[in-house]
Amino acid sequence: MGQGTPGGLNRQGLPGDRKPDGNDKKEKKFEPAAPPARVGRKQRKQKGPEAAARLPTVTPLTKCKLRLLKLERIKDYLLMEEEFVTNQERLKPQEEKAEEDRSKVDDLRGSPMSVGNLEELIDENHAIVSSSVGPEYYVGILSFVDKDQLEPGCAILMHNKVLSVVGLLQDEVDPMVSVMKVEKAPLESYADIGGLDAQIQEIKEAVELPLTHPELYEDIGIRPPKGVILYGEPGTGKTLLAKAVANSTSATFLRVVGSELIQKYLGDGPKLVRELFRVADDLSPSIVFIDEIDAVGTKRYDAHSGGEREIQRTMLELLNQLDGFDSRGDVKVILATNRIESLDPALLRPGRIDRKIEFPLPDIKTRRRIFQIHTSRMTLADDVNLEEFVMTKDEFSGADIKAICTEAGLLALRERRMKVTHADFKKAKEKVMFKKKEGVPEGLYM
Amino acid sequence: MASQDPNTNAASGSGKQDEPTKPPPPKDSKKKDDKKDEDLSDEDLALKQQLELYVERVQDPDPGLQKVALESMRQEIRTSTSSMTSVPKPLKYLRPHYGTLKAYYETMSDSDLRKYLADILSVLALTMSAEGERESLKFRLLGSDGDIGSWGHEYVRNLAGEIAQEYAKRQSDETPFDDLMELVQQIVAFHMRHNAEPEAVDLLMEVEDLDLLVEHVDKTNFKRTCLYLTSSARYLPGPDDMLVLDIAFMIYLKFEEYPNALQIALFLDNKEYVKQVFTSCDDLLRKKQFCYILARHGSNFELNDEMVAEDEEREALQDIINNAKLSEGYLTLARDIEVMEAKTPEDIYKAHLLDGRASAGASVDSARQNLAATFVNAFVNAGFGQDKLMTVPSDASSGGASGNWLFKNKEHGKTSAAASLGTILLWDVDSGLAQIDKYFHSNDNHVIAGALLGVGIVNCSIKMIALALLGEYIDKEDPSIRIGAIMGLGIAYAGAENEQIRSKLTPILNDAKAPLDVITFAAISLGLIYVGSCNEEVAQAIIFALMDRSDAELGEPLARLIPLSLGLLYLGKQESVEATAEVSKTFHEKIRKHCDMTLLSCAYAGTGNVLKVQNLLGHCSQHLEKGETHQGPAVLGIAMIAMAEELGLEMAIRSLEHLLQYGEQNIRRAVPLALGLLCISNPKVTVMDTLSRLSHDTDSEVGMAAVISLGVIGAGTNNARIAAMLRNLSSYYYKDASLLFCVRIAQGLVHLGKGLLTLNPYHSDRFLLSPAALGGIITMLHACLDMKAIILGKYHYVLYFLILAMQPRMLLTVDENLKPLSVPVRVGQAVDVVGQAGRPKTITGFQTHSTPVLLAAGDRAELATEKYIPLSPILEGFVILKENPEYREE
Repeated sequence: MGQGTPGGLNRQGLPGDRKPDGNDKKEKKFEPAAPPARVGRKQRKQKGPEAAARLPTVTPLTKCKLRLLKLERIKDYLLMEEEFVTNQERLKPQEEKAEEDRSKVDDLRGSPMSVGNLEELIDENHAIVSSSVGPEYYVGILSFVDKDQLEPGCAILMHNKVLSVVGLLQDEVDPMVSVMKVEKAPLESYADIGGLDAQIQEIKEAVELPLTHPELYEDIGIRPPKGVILYGEPGTGKTLLAKAVANSTSATFLRVVGSELIQKYLGDGPKLVRELFRVADDLSPSIVFIDEIDAVGTKRYDAHSGGEREIQRTMLELLNQLDGFDSRGDVKVILATNRIESLDPALLRPGRIDRKIEFPLPDIKTRRRIFQIHTSRMTLADDVNLEEFVMTKDEFSGADIKAICTEAGLLALRERRMKVTHADFKKAKEKVMFKKKEGVPEGLYM
Repeated sequence: MASQDPNTNAASGSGKQDEPTKPPPPKDSKKKDDKKDEDLSDEDLALKQQLELYVERVQDPDPGLQKVALESMRQEIRTSTSSMTSVPKPLKYLRPHYGTLKAYYETMSDSDLRKYLADILSVLALTMSAEGERESLKFRLLGSDGDIGSWGHEYVRNLAGEIAQEYAKRQSDETPFDDLMELVQQIVAFHMRHNAEPEAVDLLMEVEDLDLLVEHVDKTNFKRTCLYLTSSARYLPGPDDMLVLDIAFMIYLKFEEYPNALQIALFLDNKEYVKQVFTSCDDLLRKKQFCYILARHGSNFELNDEMVAEDEEREALQDIINNAKLSEGYLTLARDIEVMEAKTPEDIYKAHLLDGRASAGASVDSARQNLAATFVNAFVNAGFGQDKLMTVPSDASSGGASGNWLFKNKEHGKTSAAASLGTILLWDVDSGLAQIDKYFHSNDNHVIAGALLGVGIVNCSIKMIALALLGEYIDKEDPSIRIGAIMGLGIAYAGAENEQIRSKLTPILNDAKAPLDVITFAAISLGLIYVGSCNEEVAQAIIFALMDRSDAELGEPLARLIPLSLGLLYLGKQESVEATAEVSKTFHEKIRKHCDMTLLSCAYAGTGNVLKVQNLLGHCSQHLEKGETHQGPAVLGIAMIAMAEELGLEMAIRSLEHLLQYGEQNIRRAVPLALGLLCISNPKVTVMDTLSRLSHDTDSEVGMAAVISLGVIGAGTNNARIAAMLRNLSSYYYKDASLLFCVRIAQGLVHLGKGLLTLNPYHSDRFLLSPAALGGIITMLHACLDMKAIILGKYHYVLYFLILAMQPRMLLTVDENLKPLSVPVRVGQAVDVVGQAGRPKTITGFQTHSTPVLLAAGDRAELATEKYIPLSPILEGFVILKENPEYREE
């Protein structure tokens, strides 16, 4: 029954051609592969790494004995699986066999392989492919390729000579998004923030606590806030606080700047947003931090250029991801801006962004703390009286204070002194204040 | 600022057990250098100084001053509020003084003041005492027994935790713990008042005194408490689980929630409890509802005059238990959904949806095709009382073609064909018997056998008159007639524990002249009739029958069903099986291990016992020589045990995946069946995909098992996806008659009762397991372990054992006179609400229908009108509605 050689044109209706009770015969004859479960249409995205490998969810969320028992039950089963698999590996190592198979598959694939695009699936064994340059070809699909995952438009590996489909590329995560993941935690911790106690507490309650202790919210019977927006004048510590959150949390932290979401090609921006949230969901629990959200989140009005419309579409996608049809599980969003009044009201409505955290200019006490933080590693001369700057009437932001300290240090350095004197600070302050007034016309900030 | 590095905070945080998070290092956290005062805000500073003053005053010799200081300290602690993320300030500032206060406490003379101080120390210990020292509890016991809740929730929780530890310690030291129990009383009362039932239950479980719970539950919280108890029971190790259910039963009785109490009684399989429910309730209507619950469970409960006084009423109630009205209700449902129209097998195959080729194959009129059509016809039209093959009057003008379907089948095929008439007339005793009657006078033994089986099927779960009809045929000469009669009795009286039948069947087992198949079916029938009863005599009889078998006979595939019948006797009875299991060790080695596995898996079926799953997995991990068969039952056993609860079920599916990877053929053949058992009538997409993959396996028996399992997981769902898969399979396998037969059977199962029936043995919110139904299913699956010899051979009628599990998946509301009543109901996906705060929604994504409605797997219904009150909280099957006297028309 060896009909239908791999190269031959196998019509769709012939795969089942086999002898009745054919399993009794010893020699292996060619049997056409089973038809795929479905052809074409994109498979519904499985949640997470591998839907089958996921453990069942355990309710209730409240910490109680029932939950403990359920988790223990799952653990028992996992231990049994482990025991079984190790037993089997001992008795009948699969590694070697798999290795053998793999090398066989590699032989069949040949090398080098070329990367192409699947244009169309003709039947279960044939497809039309195109490589990045050149014409389209009608080629066979090798039997070991998972046909369930093939779909028009996906990237495939092709044999270098006959161009048959020998594999498919499955790196679905946009490299743009993987860059956003914070791999190395920033060094700034909560201790490096002067003041802002209320803000820290708010962000902890809204962002960290729901991820670490969801049962507290469950106990009360509310849904934890989805996201927060940090707003306030420049240099008041919004980004710093976000860094501190990233530093202290063990959740995945994705950071983006609003301007990164604006892309060259139409539809790329919304796609990036989608991708970003999909990755966040896959890696959940996670925190998404979008800095300078005003780059995309400004109020909508009649846009006259395609670029503006595109930016608005990007924002609309963001709106949908924040509170759209699909529920976001353990994904928390932190936005930061210094122009909250220009943001679209839809972005800020409760349900999308539940908490608005204002970052005011530091008051006297905070100012003192910030000075202390920044001067703690400086060698100060005895005559330095920071109180003078603390009590001054000028409006400083945290960043200004840092600038003053740095400037004072630089002045001392210029004169090759080992200590920073009071005079340095005074000069530095004047310089900073002057620059501030000069660089930015007065009256811009309210 | 170097002192502010996070490490200091982390270190201080670790001492606090119950803090939600490590306290954030806000600006005014502790610092050891002198600058620290500067960092505190003015109020904080004032508070700190104040507290320091109190600490000093407490150590003052003047008791008056001491008292004032203690009082105000207490005040400060109680009134302090703070965010969830940090420690209350007064506690924080008192931390450095904990040592001093403790030292001072030791020096104090016994007085009220000392107790006061102990109270405060107890609270301070919440954040201070090192892990495992339980100082909080120690000081609490020494202090005044004030209101425990006044110090806040966190404190009570911490105390509860320490009590559990202390209890465990004292128990191992064998010291008394009366003082603890007093505290436990207080804490439980506090928790129950504050919506924290799970915590109260947990504490009582730790101190092993659940009886206390009964005093503390009240009308507002007993439901949630019981829900928590019942759902914990599934996961607790024995004998705690029984204890927990006992308590839940008592609470339900106390609050007159009889239907729930009855369910627990049935779960415990405790006849005394069932009686208690009947005697403690004096409302006849409610008793009728109980009877419906009993009927669904397939229980053979006999009412006596203690439970129902009036003879007439008792008869009516007994009728309900005997499912006399089931057919009527089912037909009402069918009429309401408008599916009365009979369907032919061709309507199910839908060959026109396939490409041209398949139809050519189908037109061949082979015996096997006709047999498949017989089964499909029987399954699809089950219980409707009409079809287009069997019930068509033979003198109809349509003539020969459909006129006598029966004789289109060959030999043993005719048995199944005649019996299919019984399936079509399922539960409808009167007209069923009338229609089957004509076959009794046939001169073909196969037809008579089929008729006998048909009578049994018609009477399935009705248990009234089958014995009188079938009894005389048991000892006939012809083996096929005997099998028909015996199997009919088994199906009709499953779970009935009928003495009379036992005395008729046991002689066959010990009859040396009886052929093996007769003995096998007699054993299976006895197993089903005495399912889960642990009946000694039946067990003895079967054991002897097994021992008498010769080597060759034990090698027969059919003989492997005899150990199963022994297993059925102990279905779900756990330890009770041990004596028999010991005996089984003496069996012939060909069957010993097989018997061992079967007994083990049956005895622990539906318990979720992880240890037994481990045991079975261990057996599956061996690689055997040819000829050993015990791994198949072991794989099925994993499914039988794990199907008890959702978690185990999902984890078992994972484990089975490993078995597929590593197992030999005999394991691989059983895995699809096990998957089918786990998801019976519940087509989960992941399982469906796995089975679809296996249905193309190179080993045709794996393929067959997978195809049958596809039918089983989709049984009675009309699932379009499975139907499409099977259609494609039918064209893929159009040349392979055996596989095609399996595909046809599976197609019939998917459209079981035109989608009105379910095979799921679990009912009542997946809480109760009907033993007879499970028995029927596993008999069928065990037969499938050797598909070629049994189902594809001449014993295809074992498929009719599935009928035991068939139940309408309906919600039919009836009024007080048991007449169907249409009311709006919401039907949606059930949500697990155990341990959730407030009154969470129990269903999600619901749609409103009017009864009767169909309930899919995992669905739950609730009434959408206030006009009626259901007499059972679980809206499944028959539910009696009572008018709500407080209802006002709007």
